[in-house]
Amino acid sequence: MTDVINTQRSKREALGPYGRVGKTLGELDDRLGVAKGGRTFMDKIFPDHWSFMLGEIALYSFVILLVTGVFLTLYFTPSQSYITYHGSYLPLDGQKVSQAFASTVNLSFAVRGGLLMRQMHHWACDIFVGAIVVHMARVFFTGAFRKPRELNWTIGTTLLILAILNGFLGYSLPDDLVSGTGIRIAYSIILSIPVVGSYLGFLVFGGNFPGTAIIPRFFILHCLIVPAIIVGLVGAHLFLLVRQKHTQFPGEGRTEKNVVGSPMFPVFMAKTTGFLFVVGGITALLGAFAQVNPIWQFGPYEASRISYAVQPDWYMGFLDGALRIWPSWSFHNWGHTIPFEVLIPAVILPGLIFNLAFVWPMLERKFTNDHEIHHLLDRPSNRPKRTAAGVAVLTFVIMLFVASSTDVLAKFFDVSLNTMLVAMRVLVIISPFIAYPITYKICRELQGFVGGGKRKTPNVVTRTAEGQYVATPSPVYVDDVHRGLPATPVPTFITEEPEDAGENGVRVVDR
Amino acid sequence: MTSTVLKRCFALSLLSLFCAGPAIALVGSAQASTKTTPYQTTRANSGTPNSTHVTKNSSGVIISYGNSSITYRAPSAALATLGQALYQENCASCHGTEANGVPASGVSGAFPDLVGLGPATITFWINSGRMPAANPRSVEAVRRIPRLDNGQALAIAAWIDTLAPGYPLVPYPHLKNANVSDGAALFALNCASCHTIEGDGDALAYGTSSPSLRHVPAIQVAEAIRTGPGNMPRFTGNLSDAQVNDVVKFVTTAIQHPQNIGGFGLGGLGPVAEGFVGLALGVGVLALVGFWVGERD
Repeated sequence: MTDVINTQRSKREALGPYGRVGKTLGELDDRLGVAKGGRTFMDKIFPDHWSFMLGEIALYSFVILLVTGVFLTLYFTPSQSYITYHGSYLPLDGQKVSQAFASTVNLSFAVRGGLLMRQMHHWACDIFVGAIVVHMARVFFTGAFRKPRELNWTIGTTLLILAILNGFLGYSLPDDLVSGTGIRIAYSIILSIPVVGSYLGFLVFGGNFPGTAIIPRFFILHCLIVPAIIVGLVGAHLFLLVRQKHTQFPGEGRTEKNVVGSPMFPVFMAKTTGFLFVVGGITALLGAFAQVNPIWQFGPYEASRISYAVQPDWYMGFLDGALRIWPSWSFHNWGHTIPFEVLIPAVILPGLIFNLAFVWPMLERKFTNDHEIHHLLDRPSNRPKRTAAGVAVLTFVIMLFVASSTDVLAKFFDVSLNTMLVAMRVLVIISPFIAYPITYKICRELQGFVGGGKRKTPNVVTRTAEGQYVATPSPVYVDDVHRGLPATPVPTFITEEPEDAGENGVRVVDR
Repeated sequence: MTSTVLKRCFALSLLSLFCAGPAIALVGSAQASTKTTPYQTTRANSGTPNSTHVTKNSSGVIISYGNSSITYRAPSAALATLGQALYQENCASCHGTEANGVPASGVSGAFPDLVGLGPATITFWINSGRMPAANPRSVEAVRRIPRLDNGQALAIAAWIDTLAPGYPLVPYPHLKNANVSDGAALFALNCASCHTIEGDGDALAYGTSSPSLRHVPAIQVAEAIRTGPGNMPRFTGNLSDAQVNDVVKFVTTAIQHPQNIGGFGLGGLGPVAEGFVGLALGVGVLALVGFWVGERD
């Protein structure tokens, strides 16, 4: 009775050394050859530094946006045809509203979990754009955009523009009083473009404002076209990231020729999956506890109605601010009007800002004459001019953003709105010029202050027999010093044989 | 050689275009700009009476809107003696002993003439705490805790009414039959352009502001609509009493006690507060989590 073949143990042994999972993977490899690619994928090295997680916030909030967005499309009616609202929100009962508005209010009041999903979608959008900006700032200030990663920088900047655009489109969909004002402004901005403006406006809106086509059109753009482009570009962004491998901060054992960090499996996969859930959790908490965009209080949009003190979502704030503070310059002659007070702040200015972002890597190559390939990141203080320029541009944009709430500030500080307007004009122009030298100075100071921000170690002073005093630095506690783990090289399981060069054009590869 | 010359020509033409644009713009704006006075909104913006039910007195002032939505009541004439005493004590230093806006020391025109303004105007300014003014020289008087109570306000209104009877009388809205939904639509059309659609009020030009409606009693809302205090237009003929009633109901219910589902209201500041929360609590907290799980060296 010794060779019983039907025991648990013999079954296990029959599966091979890696168990059921290993056997399944083996079967897959036999058919699809996943071992080689999978090995590379699992051994993809991610640097451990926390700032590399910022981009992931954007990625995962985008995932949340897709999931919650799909839920919202099930209940949203993208139509501007009028119906009489008879729902659970009494102050609107009996009003003629567009179907888009009515369905959004119903989604908020009558659909189980609908308002949570709507608010999560909105918060995830705010986080998405915010995380892109923060991630972009990290990439900029550490010089991660340098050769060979200029293309990825361009893709990232495009993604930021698309995220802002899609945020605006989605914000406009409920057809409420506040977002309708936003669409009205967008129409005016299109009109302000010289020569083609009015034609372009009619093309986009299918006629004069407001018409009945804009909500369905924005719906298709917001839910299909722009997200598809974003998904494609995010794919390209990540593909390039894997292809070019990560940058890393300089440190022990880190060179231009290697990447030190945790492999995809198991360390990074665990970390990043956890992070996905944290992003989802924070978004859900905000969606549950923080009210965002209560459109039922705003009521439906009609061209004759307007509310004072209307601001766009935060990522459009800089445009709104620029529009608010720009002096009323315009050109009227020969039967034509060019409204410079709209054209410059809303078309030319954002064009300049984003174009500056696009061409920055090229500009830096040109001015520093640095055409080397860089994989090691800069400490921002070691590049004082770049850091100061970045801070100056950021300050400019932030001041424009602040200018979009002149009325809120005037009310809060109890000053005249006109004073606030003039103050913002001055601040927008002056503050970049103040920010640049201050940042530059701080960077230069930090250069001479290695180890700034780290815990200082006390000196142990000893007296020698000769009476000499010797100060030696010591750690606060023995285990208090960060010690980088010695990095072990990734094993190469698959050795590739060199290909034979064909002589007569006919070539052969191994399977 | 020629290519560089061409390039330079091109650059020069571009440069001149960039210079010419603002120059032309300045010329254009100089043509368009006219000197404007600070206070552009006047009482003249009172709308066109379109109700067929209105009754006017001999001098063309609307005295009745012919329905039962709002009762207009004059304060009892018996209060006039008390009102005169209260007036001399609290108001005469600016508005003058004759209530004609001429103080004992000053020149006429510096302070408003109260004669013939009607009881609703007087009670609104006193009951909202704007009068007696905290600072008579300030650009505008703002709502604060009233110095005089409603009875005293009515008494003063009664005395001023004896000098020259005026309208509107004090409106008492009957909100039971008012339609809050019609009120919402009328509010969006007539009021939201200053008071904001959430009724929070905001800063307007030249140090003036539109007050918050969050704590205004129903009578004062009706009084303000009918009398047009400060920069506010006076809505007389273009809103019927039923419509005023609807607006008052909307303000005292949906604005003052909103059906605020969806969590904390973030102070009614709209996208400014939302952006702040999204960046601080959203991106900020997530970055901290990243900082926690990541390497910090």
